[in-house]
Amino acid sequence: MAATGDVKRKSFFRDWILTVDHKKIGIMYALTSIIFFFFGGLAAILIRTQLAMPDTQVLEPQQFNQAFTVHGTIMIFLWIIPMLTGAFGNYLVPIMIGAHDMAFPRMNALSYWLFLLGGLVLFASFFVGAVPDVGWTAYPPYSIESQGAGLDFWVTAVHILGLSSILAAINFIVTTWNMRTEGMTFNRMPLFVWANLVTSFIQLFGTPALAGAVTTLLLDRHFGTVFYNVAEGGDPMMYQHLFWFYSHPAVYVMIIPAMGIVSEILPVFARKPIFGYKAIAYSSIMIGFLGFMVWAHHMFVAGMQMSEGIPFMITSMIIAVPTSIKIFNWLATLWGGQIKFTTPMLFVSLGFLGLFTIGGLGGIMLGAVPVDLHLHDTYFVIAHFHYVILGGSMTAILAGMFYWFPKVTGRMYNEKFGQVGFWLYFIATNLTFFPMHFIGMAGMPRRVFFYQPELTTLNQLATLGSYLMGVAALLLFINLAYSLFKGEKASQNPFGAQTLEWTHASSPPTEFNFEAMPVVTADPYQFGEQKDGKSLDDDGVTA
Amino acid sequence: MGLSNFYLPEAITQTAKDIDGLFGMIFWISLVAFILVEALLVIFLIRYKRKHPDKQGLAIHGNTKAEVIWTMIPALILVGIGIYSSGMVYTIQEPPTDVYEIKVTGMKWAWEFEYPNGAKTYGELRIPENENVLFKIYSKDVIHSFWIPEFRVKQDAVPGRETRFWVKAETFNNAENKYEKRIICAEYCGNQHSNMLADLQIMPADEFTAWVDKELTRPKTDAQYVIQSNGCTSCHTIDGGKSAGPTWKGLFGKKQIVNGQEVTVDEKYLEEAIMTPDAKTPEGFNSGMMPAFQLEPDAMKNVVEYIKSLK
Repeated sequence: MAATGDVKRKSFFRDWILTVDHKKIGIMYALTSIIFFFFGGLAAILIRTQLAMPDTQVLEPQQFNQAFTVHGTIMIFLWIIPMLTGAFGNYLVPIMIGAHDMAFPRMNALSYWLFLLGGLVLFASFFVGAVPDVGWTAYPPYSIESQGAGLDFWVTAVHILGLSSILAAINFIVTTWNMRTEGMTFNRMPLFVWANLVTSFIQLFGTPALAGAVTTLLLDRHFGTVFYNVAEGGDPMMYQHLFWFYSHPAVYVMIIPAMGIVSEILPVFARKPIFGYKAIAYSSIMIGFLGFMVWAHHMFVAGMQMSEGIPFMITSMIIAVPTSIKIFNWLATLWGGQIKFTTPMLFVSLGFLGLFTIGGLGGIMLGAVPVDLHLHDTYFVIAHFHYVILGGSMTAILAGMFYWFPKVTGRMYNEKFGQVGFWLYFIATNLTFFPMHFIGMAGMPRRVFFYQPELTTLNQLATLGSYLMGVAALLLFINLAYSLFKGEKASQNPFGAQTLEWTHASSPPTEFNFEAMPVVTADPYQFGEQKDGKSLDDDGVTA
Repeated sequence: MGLSNFYLPEAITQTAKDIDGLFGMIFWISLVAFILVEALLVIFLIRYKRKHPDKQGLAIHGNTKAEVIWTMIPALILVGIGIYSSGMVYTIQEPPTDVYEIKVTGMKWAWEFEYPNGAKTYGELRIPENENVLFKIYSKDVIHSFWIPEFRVKQDAVPGRETRFWVKAETFNNAENKYEKRIICAEYCGNQHSNMLADLQIMPADEFTAWVDKELTRPKTDAQYVIQSNGCTSCHTIDGGKSAGPTWKGLFGKKQIVNGQEVTVDEKYLEEAIMTPDAKTPEGFNSGMMPAFQLEPDAMKNVVEYIKSLK
């Protein structure tokens, strides 16, 4: 990684291990989670290989169960969440608001090291031969009964990662609240900072519920408590309530920052102000609030009375509204633009907007209680959330990696291979996950290692797609790795963006980010020219 | 709405048809939204492609009227779907008063069905045609989920709780009026989760009554009955195939490695393995997988004889 500015190089140990610089911590988060992602992807390919034929035995049932548990846990807790909040949040938030660093730099370093430790604890289970096999949701009583130390590793890892998230969230909230530079009012903050702020509140309020859920699992297993032991008066459904009280909002932890990235990139390459800045910023708050009121839509068939699902169905339907506000505002941002197709722009426009829309619409079907009675826990659900989390969050992560690559490394990525990588990724995503809608509708449940022979063709398409996805991911990451050493030197602001990291910081930024503290006078999307010299906007905002 | 035959399995109850109707309705609304968004996206991307490197787009920051319109329309549609679906939920939830109750119990890894006269079947559910049937669902161990895709309904089997749903099944569209392996466990429940399947058969009411009466008198010590009722074949195959437990084919008289020592499988070993399975787990299999079974002496004798017969 490129040196961060003009401070004398001391040693690798002092430079990286002991660093409290938010940029270096962000880079460490990114590199670590990319390594974890590699293993999560490998697990996905193992799962799809087993499912290439209706009745193969590539994996033993037990190994298959471990593969999907590890896949889900890694992708959510060690890849998407740490990448978006840890890597992007840490690197960008202080620079974007015109601060020298986070509010609590040492606590920030601690968050990273806890994240690494949590990841290593999960991986340690491989070396003692007790890989968790309980699914990433770890529902009791099965999880309590499961053999070996797998669940203990899983719970410990989740605990450490949760602590890391809470510390990071506190840090982001304090930083955003107190450390904005002169003129950086809330309504002038870049939309990524808005997104990160809302996300931090979700983490702060949600994570303790998850901690409570997994702690009680551990107590039941080892200390004779009976939270989930029916014979002694416990109730396994309580776990599901606690678990989803965190894990549904966690979906928004995975998507709101991704939406923030989209909102940064679209205006720059469309050469237009973002359409409806306030609507986009405030709809994140609305999503954050509503996100805590929909958890039981994961439990429509879990043993609640069916009609108890109705309030959760209504809130789930309503949460689609702020999301659709964003989609239409982004579309309006493209209207009348001067669109340049760079790799990041392809990822956010066709990639994020195109794929996320499919995921969102599938969500409406699952949100309706009667339809969910059929589709719950089937491959339709898998199709839906992969369109949202891979098609949405991960696509935005890739867009952001290419977009900020010149800023972070001081070098340009390879545009041609970036675009080839995008198309391969886009095709692979659809090939892998679109058929799963039909697989689920036809009656294939999740987490099974064989299926009815009629579904062979669709499953094989999905498996082929997953292999293609592996190739696409390699191509994209090799592009970045190669460009790190051989890429063209990047100027301070190669894309002509207007946020502070581009306008006031060098590529890469110096140790304290800015030569002099920037002063902000308008929102950061003042692109475009007036039609016939007249302003078309009715918000009174002028360029 | 034209969706019923498109990758959705046959709908064999009115409820299933109603659910398909709602599914179809949401599908068509979604399709319109999908085409609208994707078409606008592609049109804008093509139409507004940058021609000159220095050109700027239009400086439009927002338009309140447009934003209100595209917020209100989806909101109204979604609330509409919500209200319509809520009405349906009550219809699906409330069973009619004249119902035939069947007790469904999930266990690792089999389904047990108990009929009102006390008859029990395993791995096979039969129900009378055109009659209201109420399933009361229980679990013996972990959470399972009782799902029949043709009914479009599933409910979890939760330990310590009773869950339920009702159906009124018409005939299947096949000659035997029987679907194989269409009772599915939809909630992950461990090693043999994928194997937790059962058959469904719908019978004319009078045939059903005759069958269920006869089923009651079936001897309880019969090897087949004992094996089915204890779900043995979820983990043990009888054809030499691989599964969670050792196959029974050729098992009798075979030498197994137990705790590093060679043990010959004889009557005594089989009996011990059934009653205290963790005592002598053969190499290659995990202890703790199989629950302990207490069988009547006659039942035990029959089962051991049956395993002996599988050469």
